[in-house]
Amino acid sequence: MAEDRLGHATTCEDHITPIVNHDGTGASQEVRPAEKRLSAGLPLRQAMKPPLAEPKTYDITEKFTKACSALEVGQLVKDEYFTLFESIGALEIMDPKMDSGFLQPGETLEDAYDTLAPILPEELISILDQLLCHEIAWHTGYPLSQTLFTSVYIDKLLWPEPKTFEQAQFYRGEISDDRRPGLLLEVLRAYCLALVKCCDFTIARITSRDYFEEEDFCTHTYNRVLLVQTPMDVFQRELDAAIERLEDHSEMDIEASLRGALIARLKFRKRFLSALDIDFPIDYIRHCWEQVSRKLPTISTTHQLGKVVPESFSFKIQRRLASTVPPRPIVELEFKDAFEKLQQLCIDCDEATRFVDIEPDPLEYQSFLWAFASRTPTPLPYSRAYLASLLFQESSLNIPLIDLRSLVLPCSPVLDPTNWALSPPRNPMLPKPPRLQLALFIDEFVERAGQCYLDLWTALGQNRCRLRRMLTHVVTGWDQLQMDAGIVDEDIMRVVTEMGIREQVLEYPLTTWVYHKKLWMIEKVVLLGFEQDIYLHDEFAGMYLFLSSVTGRRRDLLTTIKAHFDDRKRMFLSQNTPEALTNAQETDDGTRYISSLLHDASGISALSSALSKFYTKLNYLNLLPRPTRPFSTEDLRYELRMKPFLTLTPPEVYPFADFAAQVQPYAPPFFDSPPPSFSEALRTPESWLEIEDSVKRAKEEFSAVKKLGAKAAKSDSVAISWVKDVQGVLASCVALGVAVAGVKAAVEEGEEGRELGIRFEIPGIGIGKRYAEGWVVGKVVKS
Amino acid sequence: MDNIEANTYLSQFIGKNLRIHTSDDRVFGGQMKCTDKDRNIILALTYEYRAPPLEEIKKVVEASGTSSATVNWSSRYVGLVVVPGTHVKKIEYEESAYSKGGVVL
Repeated sequence: MAEDRLGHATTCEDHITPIVNHDGTGASQEVRPAEKRLSAGLPLRQAMKPPLAEPKTYDITEKFTKACSALEVGQLVKDEYFTLFESIGALEIMDPKMDSGFLQPGETLEDAYDTLAPILPEELISILDQLLCHEIAWHTGYPLSQTLFTSVYIDKLLWPEPKTFEQAQFYRGEISDDRRPGLLLEVLRAYCLALVKCCDFTIARITSRDYFEEEDFCTHTYNRVLLVQTPMDVFQRELDAAIERLEDHSEMDIEASLRGALIARLKFRKRFLSALDIDFPIDYIRHCWEQVSRKLPTISTTHQLGKVVPESFSFKIQRRLASTVPPRPIVELEFKDAFEKLQQLCIDCDEATRFVDIEPDPLEYQSFLWAFASRTPTPLPYSRAYLASLLFQESSLNIPLIDLRSLVLPCSPVLDPTNWALSPPRNPMLPKPPRLQLALFIDEFVERAGQCYLDLWTALGQNRCRLRRMLTHVVTGWDQLQMDAGIVDEDIMRVVTEMGIREQVLEYPLTTWVYHKKLWMIEKVVLLGFEQDIYLHDEFAGMYLFLSSVTGRRRDLLTTIKAHFDDRKRMFLSQNTPEALTNAQETDDGTRYISSLLHDASGISALSSALSKFYTKLNYLNLLPRPTRPFSTEDLRYELRMKPFLTLTPPEVYPFADFAAQVQPYAPPFFDSPPPSFSEALRTPESWLEIEDSVKRAKEEFSAVKKLGAKAAKSDSVAISWVKDVQGVLASCVALGVAVAGVKAAVEEGEEGRELGIRFEIPGIGIGKRYAEGWVVGKVVKS
Repeated sequence: MDNIEANTYLSQFIGKNLRIHTSDDRVFGGQMKCTDKDRNIILALTYEYRAPPLEEIKKVVEASGTSSATVNWSSRYVGLVVVPGTHVKKIEYEESAYSKGGVVL
C-alpha cells in the first residue's frame, strides 16, 4: 500500500524525486518536495544518499500569473479530455466544507490526546463499547473514516504502517520504561487489534460476493492496511493473554464487576473474530454464531459501568486519511441501536448457517434465499454476503438439471442417467445414438442456463429494493434463454419422435421450464412493487390486473404440466414392474410440488383479479386519492410502468387500449361524476358477485396450498416463515371479503347521486398493518 | 504577453506535474488539468503534503541528537482538486526525469 513518507532532510533543497502519479491506492513511493522552510535554525548538512533520477523543479509563479491575467474572462486553458462534469467532482482547497485538510486559524493538525496516558477500567469499558458502536455503524454502511478510523487508538496502531506485528503499538520507536503501557492499555491494544482483523475479515467476505460499494457498504480503508498479513491465531493469542492477565488478580486491583465486564468484552471479541474468519471450517459452522450471541447479554448489562472518554475519538484524523471526499462528521450510533443491530447480525448469520444443512435441491435453496431476503429488519450486507458465500461455494450439484427434473421432466427418458454413459460412434460421420444426442442437448442447455440461474441467485442475495430492480434485468436474461431453449426443444422433440417415446415427454419441456420461471419472476417484481409502495393508489387496479394476467398464464402452464405428471404416473402404474412402481411413486411425489405451485398460482391469479376489479370500482367511486398529473398522459405512464416487460416474448403486457378497456370499463373520464353506466352496474348484484367469487376461489386455493404444506412447496427449510406467509395471504383474502362487503353495503344503502359516507383507508408499508406486504387490502371506515 | 502567447505558454503545462504551494503552507502535487484568468488551477491525481509542526521537528532533533535528522512530511492522496487562485502562493513546474524538454519556461 502507499506509504507516502516524505523523508525531508532539513538540509536538502535540491534533491527531489518526482511526484509519481498514481491512483492513490497503489504501491509505495518516496517523495521529497523542494521545501526549505523547515530549517529551524539548524546547521545543515547534505543528505547521505541523493536519490536517483533527480527531476528539476522550476519556479514558474511569476510567468504563470502573468499568462493567466492575459486570459479573457471565462476563457479556460484545459486538457481537451477534461470535462466540466469531471471538474464538478474536484475538491476545493481552502474551503472548510470541502477541504478536509483545511485548518481554522490557530487550529492544530492533531489533537493532543495521549494514547499512552493510563486509563481507568470504567473508561476502558466505555472506549470498547464506543468502538463496537462504530464497528456496527460501519456495518450499516458508513465509511471507516467516519466511524472506527476516528479512534485515536486505532489510528496509532495502524499509522505509520507497522512493519511487524509487534510494531503495532500505541507508540512508535523507543519509549522510556515509565511510559510503557499498563495492563489496561494492553487490554485495549489486544481488543483493537482483533477489531481491526474483524474489519479485515468483513471486507474480505463482502467483497468476495456481489455488493454495491458505498450503497451497501464502504470497503475503503484510506490506505490503511488492516493487518491483512497477520494470521488469525496471533490475534487470538493476544486476546487470550489479555484475558489471562485480567483474570490474574495479583497484577492489578480492579473492582470485580469491572473486571468481569472487561473479560466479557474480550471473550466476545474472540468469538466474534473466529466467527468472522473467512477460513472457518464449514463442518463446525453450525454453532459459531450462537456462541457469539451468548456473549452479548453481559456486554449490554455492563454498558452503564463505563465512563465516556470523548477525546479518544477525533474528527481530525480524517485530515490524514487518503480521501477524495470532503470532511464529514463522526457518525453517532447509540449503543442501544448498535447493540440491537449486532444481535440481529448474529441471528441472521446463525440463520444463514442453517443453509449448509438443507436438502440439496435448488428449489429449496431458492425458497431459503427468498425467505432470507424477506427477513425484517433487512439483513445487513455482511449477513447477506455470508449466506451468499455459503451458497456459492463449490458444489457438485447440477443445479439447473435438478430444477428441470422437478418441474417438467419427472423420471423422464430424456434425463435417464444411462444416456450420459453412451459413447459416440468411432466414425464421426455416423449419427450418434439418439439417447446420447439427448444427453448432449441437455448438457448444452444446462450450461447455457447456468449463468441465468446464477444471476437469479445473485439478485436474491441483494436487499429487497435492489432485488426488485435486479429481477427486471434477470427476467430479460431468461427471456433470451427462452428463445434458445426453443431451439434445443425442437431437437429434443425430433429425437424423441424418432425414438417413438414422444408421449413420455412433455411438449417443449425446456421452453416450458424457462417460461414458468420467467413468469414467476415477473410476479415477484410486481408483488415487490406493492410491498415497496412503488405504485400509487389509483394504479392498484391496473397493476393487479397485470399480475392476474401473468399468473393466469403460469397457472395454465402448470395445468399442462400437472396433466403430464398424471399421465406419467398412470403409464408407470400400468407397466406394473418394480422399477415402474418406484418411478410411479417418484412421479407422485413430484406431483405434490406441481400441485402446490398450481394452487398457489391459481390463488394469486384469483386474488389479484378480485383486487383489480375491486380497485377499479373504488376508482369510479372516487374512494382512492387521485393525484393531479398535468405533465403526463395515461398511456405514457402505462408504458413507463410496463417498461421492464415490454420486450418480452411472448408479450406479457396488454396493449394500452386493452388495458384501458379493462381498468376503465365505464367510459372515461370518470373523475368528477361516475358515468351512468357505472352507477347502473354498481347496483346489479352480478358486478359484485364476480369479485366475491374470485375472493372465495383465492381462499380455497391458498387453503389447499397450506394443506399440502411447506414440504410440497419445497420450502421445508423455512417452514415457519412459509406458513406465516401463506396465512398472511389467507388473511388478506378475508380482509378483502370484508372490505368488499363494506363498500357494497354502503352503495346499497346510499342514495343515487349522493355521497357514500365512507372512506377507504390503504395501510402503509412496514407498519404491520398489512397481512401480507405484497397484497394491499384497504379498510372501509365510516366518515 | 498577449492572449495567444499566454494560451500557448499555459497549454504546455497541461498534463504536466505542478507543485502548488498554498497560503496555508501546504503543497499540492498533481497533474494540471485546467486553469483560468483567476489562476484557479485544477490538479488531478493530487497528493497533499504538509510539513511537520515545529515542535515535532524539535522533538526529533533532540531525540536523535543530530541536527540533520530526517523529519517526515505527512502526505496523503486527495485526488482531483481545485486550488483557488487567491490561495496560490507559488507554482513550481516539475520536470519529469523521463521526458525532458518540450516546455519553454
